[in-house]
Formats: sequence, structure tokens, C-alpha cells
Amino acid sequence: MTEMIAPLSLVILVILPALLALALVFRATHAATLQLAPWAALPVLLLVIFAPPSETMQLPWLLLGSELGLNDETDRLFLLFTALLWTLAGLFSRAYLADQLRRTAFYVYFLLAMTGNLGLILAQDLSSFYVFFALMSFASYGLVVHERTSAVLYAGRVYIIMVVIGELALFVAMVMAMGASNATGFAAVRAGLAQAESQDLIILLVFIGFGIKAGVIGLHLWLPLTYTAAPIPASAVLSGAMINAGLLGWLRLLPLGEVALLNWAEVFILLGLAAAFYGVVVGLTQRDPKTLLAYSSISQMGIMTLGVGLALAAPNANPLILIAITLYALHHGLNKSALFLGVGVIAACHEHQRRWVWWLLWIPALALAGVPLSSGMLVKGLLKAQTTHAPEHWVTLLPMLLSASAVATTILVGRFMVILAKPKAATSAHDSTTGLIWPWAMLVVSSVALPWWFAPAIPKLFSAASVIASTWPVLLGSLLLLAVLLWTAYRRRQRGQEPIIESYVPQIPPGDLLVPISYLLTGLVNTVYSWLNTQLPRWRDSILMRIKRSYAHHDVTQVLTRIETVLLRWRSGLLLLLIVGLLLISMI
Amino acid sequence: MNWDPWIPVLVVASSLLPGLLIFSLAEERVRLRTVLNLLGAFIKFGLVGLMAWGIYNGHHYEMRVALLPGLELVLRAGPLSLLFVTLSALLWLVTTIYAIGYLEGSPHRSRFFGFFSLCVTATVGVALSGNLFTFLLFYELLTLATYPLVVHRGTQIARQGGRTYLIYTLFGGALLLLGTVWLYSLTGTLEFTPRGFVSGLGAEHETALIIIFILLIAGLGVKAALFPLHGWLPQAMVAPAPVSALLHAVAVVKAGAFGIIRVVYDVFGVETAASLGVTAPLAALAAFTIIYGSLRAIFQDDLKRRLAFSTVSQVSYIILGTAIAGPIATIGGVVHLVHQGLMKITLFFCAGNLAETLEIHKISEMNGVARRMPWTMAAFTIGAFGMIGVPPIAGFISKWYLGLGALEAEQHWVILVLVGSSLLNAAYFLPILYRAWFREPPSSWPADHDFGRKETAWALLLPPVVTAAFALGVGLLASLPFSPLEWAKLIAEREFYRP
Repeated sequence: MTEMIAPLSLVILVILPALLALALVFRATHAATLQLAPWAALPVLLLVIFAPPSETMQLPWLLLGSELGLNDETDRLFLLFTALLWTLAGLFSRAYLADQLRRTAFYVYFLLAMTGNLGLILAQDLSSFYVFFALMSFASYGLVVHERTSAVLYAGRVYIIMVVIGELALFVAMVMAMGASNATGFAAVRAGLAQAESQDLIILLVFIGFGIKAGVIGLHLWLPLTYTAAPIPASAVLSGAMINAGLLGWLRLLPLGEVALLNWAEVFILLGLAAAFYGVVVGLTQRDPKTLLAYSSISQMGIMTLGVGLALAAPNANPLILIAITLYALHHGLNKSALFLGVGVIAACHEHQRRWVWWLLWIPALALAGVPLSSGMLVKGLLKAQTTHAPEHWVTLLPMLLSASAVATTILVGRFMVILAKPKAATSAHDSTTGLIWPWAMLVVSSVALPWWFAPAIPKLFSAASVIASTWPVLLGSLLLLAVLLWTAYRRRQRGQEPIIESYVPQIPPGDLLVPISYLLTGLVNTVYSWLNTQLPRWRDSILMRIKRSYAHHDVTQVLTRIETVLLRWRSGLLLLLIVGLLLISMI
Repeated sequence: MNWDPWIPVLVVASSLLPGLLIFSLAEERVRLRTVLNLLGAFIKFGLVGLMAWGIYNGHHYEMRVALLPGLELVLRAGPLSLLFVTLSALLWLVTTIYAIGYLEGSPHRSRFFGFFSLCVTATVGVALSGNLFTFLLFYELLTLATYPLVVHRGTQIARQGGRTYLIYTLFGGALLLLGTVWLYSLTGTLEFTPRGFVSGLGAEHETALIIIFILLIAGLGVKAALFPLHGWLPQAMVAPAPVSALLHAVAVVKAGAFGIIRVVYDVFGVETAASLGVTAPLAALAAFTIIYGSLRAIFQDDLKRRLAFSTVSQVSYIILGTAIAGPIATIGGVVHLVHQGLMKITLFFCAGNLAETLEIHKISEMNGVARRMPWTMAAFTIGAFGMIGVPPIAGFISKWYLGLGALEAEQHWVILVLVGSSLLNAAYFLPILYRAWFREPPSSWPADHDFGRKETAWALLLPPVVTAAFALGVGLLASLPFSPLEWAKLIAEREFYRP
């Protein structure tokens, strides 16, 4: 019994935010709960730091039979940084939303999404994972459309459509996985999936279902719109915490460590690399810092996708690759959220604070690029060490491509810092920026420290070779960026004013491919809708009409009279009676 | 003395007697009428609970009365009967409370509640019938008891809807009668038997059996709103909200769906039906109805009409699960009998609340209505998400088992139907939720009946909240003993696939 207390308390603490959301609705508890709401993830965070329970809890009566708890180091790390991000984003939101409308509504969705996000990390079986995942996805809609402008509502629409598609893909994947493995626990499902007949279809659906959340290239269309639309604290948890739910879903459901699936490894590696570069290219053309960060997320998730590809190729190296991916997720989550909150801090700051905030922002920015001694260097080094497990033709290529992506990322974060450096009229200068600054500063500090804290001991990490390997991409990237900046400054001086970079590179609209796709789809859907709307009843009527008409030839009353006259002749009447009588007798 | 055989009779009588008494009551005897109604509902609920416990522990409840030699009235409570009776008893109780609130102060209430009780009597009778003959009697009684409820308002449009309803259902009843008589002439028995009673007939009767199956399904399909026999359902939604709620959730459409389950499993037996080759077309028809109903629902602006087409679509899930003819799909179909009932009755209650409180009938009028009626819309949201199949609400469990069952029976196309229908469900439910929760409310509602600090009357608010909680609970606690899912497993195990 005692060993149940630890996992049980964890589960209760994870459900707590949802209960708080409920308490927000009642008039009697509203005011007190509103004060508590930003702190809702803190208990989970404290528990997972100081007393991480190591057992899971069987709940056979819940859903289709559930198991909740933390199984291994990966789970613990995921829960740790997710809870940390929700806590700090919650604290940030306190000041950010201080004088805003719809604060209650925001917190209701915030708390529900929080329970979803934290809960899915505890879920060790299909049905409970699916429940928490759905809760998170649908509740986040309320966060995305918080500001209710038409652009935001459009983003919300795209978001919810992608959520529904993802949910359906996952539904089929999970039903098929359960059918193939006859189990709902993840470990058994993975083992069953390794031999399943319909393995490829299941993996494809898992790839799509979670890929939408993880922003896989081609499925990423909703992501830039959503991150731009959502208020800052929501963008921070979306980009830092919730995006990793997709990654975790892959780790849970794909048969990693069971079998080598070389074809799928190829797909993950290729699409991951494509996203890594595509995100940077499109991101560079963006003007809005939040949109740029969204594309950077697509790019970074690409690298994690690649990592999953490595794990698919090399089941034997699975534990090491998993740690590398998890730490990468932790590093990216913390730093990306720090950058998002930073955008909010800078926008709210007065002129004198702006400068040092800007300088502090370089810390997460450079970490993302992977400068020596940063968390970026650590996780990139860890991942690069695993590229030896890749399929043979990738072994030499992958380290080079990863370095190239580091160059690209350096340019992207440089561009981000340049955008932020431009003095902008502080439109939404808050009265008190302290409430914004200290959660953000805490996030920056933890983004520096945490990855190192949990890093496995790697002897070669500080060797000259690895330092050089992590230095040159950043240097090269910085040089390229510097060259472009100097060139624009030169042009500006020459022409007098304004022909800056933007006039050479047009902005690719956020959501890139979405624009033509939605244009085509809207037309198509509208046509089909209106066609069906007119045709469906018409078909029915025409069928009915045809039936009626085919009977119209026979005048019913005339037919009846004729039958009547036949019956009136006594002989036929008698015959009929006889038949009926015989029938009755035979029945009895 | 052994009371067991009398309990099914008492279950039927517990609504029949109050119904007959209410007919004789004067219009203004509100309190006595309410007491009679609630007393009957609670007694029925208690008796049903008693039977559930008994059956779980192997008791046998059966009452036989011979009408003619060879034709008996049989009331018997097996696990499947009990599932349906429990649903009816629970939802009748809730709907009675709702109807008392809904009809407060309106005329002809004695007539209404009298027929209301008769309607439930018929439904319970349908559920407890031990043979096809008894089933037929109660099935026809149901038709006749519902008609006065549909036309209760007495308006032109109500009478027209009622006429359509009567034409469709009487026609269906005639087909059912024909099929039953024919079947009786072949087999000499109509007793519902696990694994069917027609399998003993030789191959020479195969064509006759196929035609009988078609007749029976066509007769039952009218009430179950199977395409193309569904036309009456969207018209019958002119009835008052409690009637629509009961009609769509338990009484009429469920009687049809329940009958189809009976015919497939206890008349023909699923193996015989499959070997006759009649289950595959039935599954195809159900699948078509699912998609067709959803497509039609998208285009309705009238809230109740949209819900009605949604019923057309959702009830066919039950038939689909039955017709896939595999144990797991059966569980999905049977459990949806309960799940759909809970979710749909919630949605209709909410639609009724909007109409009663703010006179909102159209979806286009629902902008921002959640701010005015948060509890109603919260219940509606649970119902709608459940219909889409979002976990952990009941509909998710049904879809999960239907999907698993389709895989097990190697009928993979069913998964596509499930996905397509979920997508369409999302397409017609999510816009409603969006309007209600995220759009700005208009400066004034079509009408605003004041209920003080509450959003609406207690009697109107409580029922949807309770049924929504049930819809959530039976999904979340699906693996608890006595949950609908576990009970459906028991049914499949004990009745349909008994070795």
C-alpha cells in the first residue's frame, strides 16, 4: 500500500489543475482560484524534483484499463521540464494578463491544457495517453484564440482542423495497435507492433498523428500561425512543452529498441533534415519575431525527428539515443520558451530596461545555435555521437549536415536578435515589468543549468576536437550574418535610407504552403458543400417521385374496385377463405 | 413464494398504472400528477436495479401467460433486456423531471404525461419481451403511444410531422407483422433463443428466410431510421423537447435498433444470418446511413433538425456493430445503445433549454450563448465531443470497440466509415461550440425569460447536467463492473456467443 502513495500523489497533483479549472467556474471559489491558477504546476514540479516516484500505478477500472506513473529517466526528465515550463509560463501570465479581459477564460483553458500535457507524460497505456493528448489539444484552442481578432480566429480554425485530423489518425493507429498486440500498455504494444502484420500502416498513422503536433515538414502548416496568434505565455508552453508531446508520442508508440526498421529510419531522417533546413529558410524571411521562432521550432523538431530515425535504425543503441533525444527536447523546450517570453518582456519594457534584456536574450539564442559550453553544444554533441548508428550511407554525411544545420540555426537566431534590436515604440508597456522579468530570468537560468545537470558523463565532450566541432558552425554562421549586416549598412549609407534586407527578400506568409492549399481547399469544399446541399434532398425527392409516378398509372381506387368485384363473386371468395383457413391450420 | 417472475411484470406496471391514473386526473392536480410520475419512475428504477443485481448473480426472471395455444406473452429479463430497461428507466426518470419543468403552465398536461408513461411502458415492454410476438405487441403500442406526444402542440406543422410519423411507422409495423407471421408458419415458435431458432430449417427455406429477414429489418428499420426509411425522424422533431429527447435517445429509435439486435442474434443467430449473406448488406446500409445522416446534418441551421440527422447517423452505429457479426463489434454496437442515448438526450435537453429560456432555435442565433447559459452549454459540449468520439466521453468507447471489432472481423472498410463519420461529426458539432463559446453574444436574445441568478429553471438545468455527467462517467470508468461496457461484454459472452 505504501508504495502506491507516491505515484498516487503524483497523479492527483497532475489532475489538480483540471480541478482548479472547474473551481474557476464557480462564483464562490472564483476569486481564490484565480490567484492559485498560475501556480498550478508547481506542486508537480516540486514532487518530481525532490521525490520522484519510480513506480507506476495500475488503474484497471479507468478507461480501458490504465497505468499511470513514471517508468524511467526519460519520463522523469520530460515531466520535469514540462512542469517547469508550465510553472514559469503561469507565473509570467500573472503579470502579462494582469489587466486583460477574459482572464478567467484564459486560465480555464490554460489549466486544462496543463493537466493534459502533464498527464500524457504519466500515461503508460494507449487509452489514458489518448485522453490526455486530446484534452491538451482541444483545450489549447482556447489559448490560441484568446485575442479573438480575425487573424487569430483564422489561426484557430487551421489549428483545430489539424487537431481533428491528428486525433483521427491516432485513433486508427491506436485501435490497430491494440488489435495487433492485444494490449494497451505501451511496452506490450511496442513489442506487439514489432511483429504486427499491419506495422507499416500503423507507423505511418503514428507518424502523421504525432507529426502534426511535432511540426513535421508538410504537417507544420498550423504551427507558425498558432504560435504567432497565441498570447506570449501560451506560445511559450505551446512551443516548449506541448510540441514535445508529439515527440513523446513517437517514443511511446514506435517499436524503438524492438526491431530495426530501416525504411522508416530513412523517412524520419530525410524528413527531419528537410524540416531542419526548410524551417530556417522560411524563418529567415519572417518579420514577426514570434513567427520566426515558430519556424525555428520546426527546424529544431526536425533534428529531433532525425534522432528518432536513428533510434529506429539501431535498436541496440536505443537507451543512449533516447537520452540524447530527451535532453535535446529539454534543451530546446527551455531555450525556445525563454526566447518567446523574451519577446514579451522586450515588448513590455521601457527603453532603459530594453538593452540589458536584449543582451540577456543572447544566452538562450546562442544556446540554440550551440556555442561552446552551452546546452546546445552538449545536446548536439550527444546526438552527433549517435550518428554512427545511422544506416551506412548516412554515417559520414550526417555529422556534416548537422553542422550545416548549426550554421543555419546561428544565422536564424542572429536574425531574430536583429529584429528585436530594432527600437519599437513600447506599445504595451506594462506598469510593472518585474512580474514579467523574473519568471523569464528564472527560465534563462534553468535553461543554462538544467541540461548539464542531467547530462550523462561523456569523457570526450571537452576534447579539442569536439570544441572545434561546435565552434566553427557558430563562427561561420556569425560571419555570414555579419557580412549581410555590413552589406546592408553599406547600402543604406550609400542610398541614404531604407533599402534594408526586407526589400530584397519578400516575406513568405506564415504557414507557407497553407496559403495555396487553403485557397484550393476552400474553393473545393465550398463547391462540394453547396453541391451536396442541393443534391442530397433532390436525389431523395426524385427517388420518391419515381416511386409515386410508377404507381400513378394504376389508379388505386380503380384497382381496388376491380379486386372488390372479383371478391364479390361468391366462388372466388370461398376459395380465398379456404386458402386462409388452410394457412391457419398449417400454422397451428 | 418466489417473487422473481413478477418483477418484470411490476417493471412494466410501474409506468402503466401511473399513466392510466394520470389520464383520469384533472388538469390542475399538478402535485398529485408529479408525485405519481416520480413515484413510478423511482419504483421502476429500484426494481431494475434489483434485477441487475439478480442477473449478475445468475437469477432468472421470466413470466409467461398463454394467450392462444402456441402464442404466449413472455416477459423475460436477460442481460440484453436489462441493459435497455436500465437505460429506459434512468432516462425516463430524468426526462420526467425535465418535462415537468418544461411544460410548466402549458395546457393538456394530463394527456401528455399519460401518453408519456404509456410510451415508456411500451419501451420497457419491448426490452423485456421474451419472444417476437410480445415484442410486436409492445412495438405497436409504442407507435400508438408516441403519436399523441409528437402532435402534442397541435399546430399545423406538428400534425403534419405526426402524420408522416404515423404513416412510416404503421407501414413498418405491417412489414414486421408480415415477417413475423411468415416466420411463425415456418418454425412454429417465436421464442428469442441465444444463437437463434431458425438454424434448424433446411436449405430449401433459405430464400424464404432471406425475405423474412428483409421484412423484419425493414419493419424495424423504420423506427431505427435506417436509410431510406429515416424521413419521419427530422419531421418528428417538432415535438416538445422532452419528447424529442426521449424519442431520439431511448423510446422509438432505440426500440428499432434493439429489435434489429434481437432479430440478428436471437431470431436468426449471427452465424445463420452471416451464412445467409444478409449481414454484409445490412452493414453496408448502416454504413451508408451513418455517412448520409452526417452529411445532411451539416446543412441544417435548425438546431433540433441537425441533432435529428445526427441521430439518424448515430443509431446506425448500433446496427453496424450488430451487422459486422463479430463478438467485439457486437460489444461496440450494444454499448452504443446506451452511450448514444446518454449523449443524445443531453444534446436535446440543451436544445430545449435554449428554446425555453432564450427562444433560440437556430444555430445561427447561438453566438456567445455560453456566456448566458454556461452550464447548459457545458453539458452540450460534453455531448457533442462524445458524439465526435473524443476521449474519455462515452462515444469514444463505442467507436473504439467498433473499430477493434471491424479489425477482428477483417472488415477494414468499417474503420474508414468510422473516421469519415467522426470527421463529419466534428464538422457539424465544432462550429456550434465555436459560436457558443468564442463568438460575442448579440446585444439581445430573441427572448429572455428571467430566472433570477440561475441561467434557467432547476428542473431544466439539472437533467442535462446529470446525463452529461453520466456520458462522461461511463466513458471514464468504462472498465468498472456494471459499467455499460462491462455489461455489454457480459451480454456478448452469455447471450450471443455462448459456446
